Amino acid sequence: MFDNFFSLDIPGEVISSLIVMIIIMILALIIGIQASRQDPLKKPKGLLLIAETGVKFFDDLTKDLIGNTLPNFGGFIMGTAVYLFIAFIFGIIGLPSPVTNMAIPLSLGLTTFLGIHLISAKFTRWAYFKRYVEPIPIFLPINLISMWAPLLSLTLRLFGNAIAGWTLMTIIEIALRNLSSMIFSFMPVVQDGLLAGNWNEIFILPIPKAVLSLYFDLFSALIQTFVFILLTTIFIGQEIPEDFSINTLERRT
Amino acid sequence: MNAMAAAVAILGVIPSALGEGLVCAHVIDGMSRNPEMYSKLRTTMILACALVETTAIYSLLVSLLILFVG
Repeated sequence: MFDNFFSLDIPGEVISSLIVMIIIMILALIIGIQASRQDPLKKPKGLLLIAETGVKFFDDLTKDLIGNTLPNFGGFIMGTAVYLFIAFIFGIIGLPSPVTNMAIPLSLGLTTFLGIHLISAKFTRWAYFKRYVEPIPIFLPINLISMWAPLLSLTLRLFGNAIAGWTLMTIIEIALRNLSSMIFSFMPVVQDGLLAGNWNEIFILPIPKAVLSLYFDLFSALIQTFVFILLTTIFIGQEIPEDFSINTLERRT
Repeated sequence: MNAMAAAVAILGVIPSALGEGLVCAHVIDGMSRNPEMYSKLRTTMILACALVETTAIYSLLVSLLILFVG
C-alpha cells in the first residue's frame, strides 16, 4: 500500500517516520494551544500535565549531566526521546517501524555526531583541531578512525535492537500461524470475496503476540530511548570544558 | 557455509551474557547491603545492561547480515 506512494520508490519505513513526525507536530500544536490558554495558577491536567512532567524530567536530566552551559539542550533531548519512543512502538499497529530501516538510526546518530563536533568547535574555537593530534602527532590516523566510533555504536545499537525484536516477533508469528493452521485444519479456506484468506491461521496468534509485544516493543523501546538520550548527553557534555561553567559564573557575580 | 559462518558469529553473545550476569549479581549484592539505594541502583543496572548488550547486538547483526545479505 505504501510502496507506490506517489509512484516514488520511498521505503515504507520512511513514510512511517513522516507519519510519526506528523503525529508529534499535531501533539505539539495541541499542547501549545492548551498551554497558552492555561491559567498558570491552576493545576494542569491531562495532556498538559504529561507534557510538563516530561519537560521537567528532561531539563533536570540534562542539568544533572552537563550543567547550565547549554540552556536549551533539554528541548533537543526531549524531542529526540519523543520521536525515538514513538518510532519504536510504531510497529505495534502493523505498519513498518521506522527504526528497522538503517537510514533512520543513522540520521539520529549523525545528529549526535554533529552535536559532538559543533559543540566542541563552539567552546574550544581553533583548539578544536588539537583533538586530532593528541597526545602526539603520530596519533592522527588513529584519531581520524576513532572519531567515527560514537556514530557507529549509536547507530548499530538502535538498529540492532529494533531488528532483533522484529526478527523474533516475525519468527514467532510464522510459528504460531503454522501451529494454528495445523490445529484448526478442519476450517475451510475462503477462496474469493471480501473475506478471502486462511482463516484457520489467526486463532492462537493474538494473545502471545500481545504479551511478547510488551517486552520486545514497549520495554525495549523505553530502555533504548533512555540509553540513546543518556549517551547523547554524556558524549556532548564531554566536549564542554570543565572550567567553562565556573568562568561564566564568576563573570556574572 | 553461510549458516556455519552465522553460527560462529553469534558465539559473541556468550561473553555478553556472562557480563550481564555479573552486572546483575553485583547490583543485587549492593541492593541487599543497602536497600535504600534500590531505585537508584535499578536505573543504573538497566543502563549498564543495555550497554553490555551492545556487543551481543553487534554479533547478532553480523550473523543476520551473513544469513540474509552475504
